Amino acid sequence: MIHFVFYKTSDVFKAEELLIEANITNSIVPTPVQDKAYCGVCVRINDDSVEYANLLLNKLEYKQIG
Amino acid sequence: MIYFDNAATSRPKPKEVLDAFNYYVTEVGTSPGRGSYGLAIQASRMLYQSRKTVSSFFGINEPSHVIFTKNSTEAINLFLNGYLKNGDHVLISPYEHNAVLRPIQTLKNKEIIDYTVLPPDTIDYPQDIASLIRPNTKLLISTLASNLTGQLVFSTDMATVAHNNDVKVFVDASQGAGKKLINMTKNSVDFLAFTGHKDLLGLPGTGGLISEDEIKIMPLIQGGTGIHGDSYINPEAYPDSYEAGTINMPAIWALKNAIDYIEDNFDFLSNQESIVLNRILNGLDSIDRVNIYNRAAKRVSTFCFNIDGMPSNTVVENLSAKGICVRGGIHCAIKAHETIGTVKTGAVRVSINGFNTIEEADAFIQAIKELL
Repeated sequence: MIHFVFYKTSDVFKAEELLIEANITNSIVPTPVQDKAYCGVCVRINDDSVEYANLLLNKLEYKQIG
Repeated sequence: MIYFDNAATSRPKPKEVLDAFNYYVTEVGTSPGRGSYGLAIQASRMLYQSRKTVSSFFGINEPSHVIFTKNSTEAINLFLNGYLKNGDHVLISPYEHNAVLRPIQTLKNKEIIDYTVLPPDTIDYPQDIASLIRPNTKLLISTLASNLTGQLVFSTDMATVAHNNDVKVFVDASQGAGKKLINMTKNSVDFLAFTGHKDLLGLPGTGGLISEDEIKIMPLIQGGTGIHGDSYINPEAYPDSYEAGTINMPAIWALKNAIDYIEDNFDFLSNQESIVLNRILNGLDSIDRVNIYNRAAKRVSTFCFNIDGMPSNTVVENLSAKGICVRGGIHCAIKAHETIGTVKTGAVRVSINGFNTIEEADAFIQAIKELL
């Protein structure tokens, strides 16, 4: 599973909308703790959808966490 | 009771708006961006949907370019205090509400900016604005419609003159936002402030600032934004950075549904208020002592008048005694009253909406005749 972590909250839900329209299964989940805690949410998708998701979301600002 | 004070706040609110508020409070009841459990995520999702509806309604494709505030006054103060810098010059229309005039005047008093009030004729002859633009003119501010006379003040031609001279355009859409009079992209508006509780038919406690492009200005307040909590100041995340503190999500969700209601019922609302407004205006035209200000101007469903020989407060008091709600005084718009010459007398403002009726219009005319 890959987490797409967005800089803006509204982009999380814009991404969710785009992914649903493209029939890519996704979930909105708490952002994983990395080097420090984070209180937001992110989009989690299956590994095999990552490449297509990157194409769909290329205008949004985000990073991927494995 | 006859309610003709919709320019202050619209009344009644559609059932759909009240239902949406009730649904949010009872079925969701959480704060967006303040948790990562299911109900909080749903709140954030509904906030995004609300931004999407508002941005689309005003002709902007990017939902994140909507900053929610508690009203248009806060949106105006946020923008003007953040956007204007030392040495800037601003043009304002002669019909600006105190929500614009006072922050502008305060910035002038601090010797940060200077401003010029556009002559009233520039509304009809916007090309004359060009001669008032200085090398340091940064912004032209215009109300969409006067909260006093109801006349349309902003025009695309006005914006074009500004843009041709590298001046940005800010519209205060507190009056007229729900009339579908403005599309920011098509009408060349860079920034717009709106309030939710007037002709957008929402509840008090909602408003916002919308921009064509992403802006980076100093937030009005610092505090929790729900994201980037490790930062000691608001993060540069748009629009979250400008919405510090818990936002009024129940009313924002109600506003989203109010706009949906307007979209679904626009023809009815528009036709009804046009019929009622014209019935009243035509009825007053036949009464000798009544003076309607800027009668010939294109307007939203608001106008103001005085009766010769009768103070405006007396008219308001007598109408109130007959169960008719209209507003006298200065209407928080001293500049507009200066423009039409009613600072000493005040004026009686009548503002209707699509829920008013012909019968109410006729009762109003009859009540005025009985005053004379």
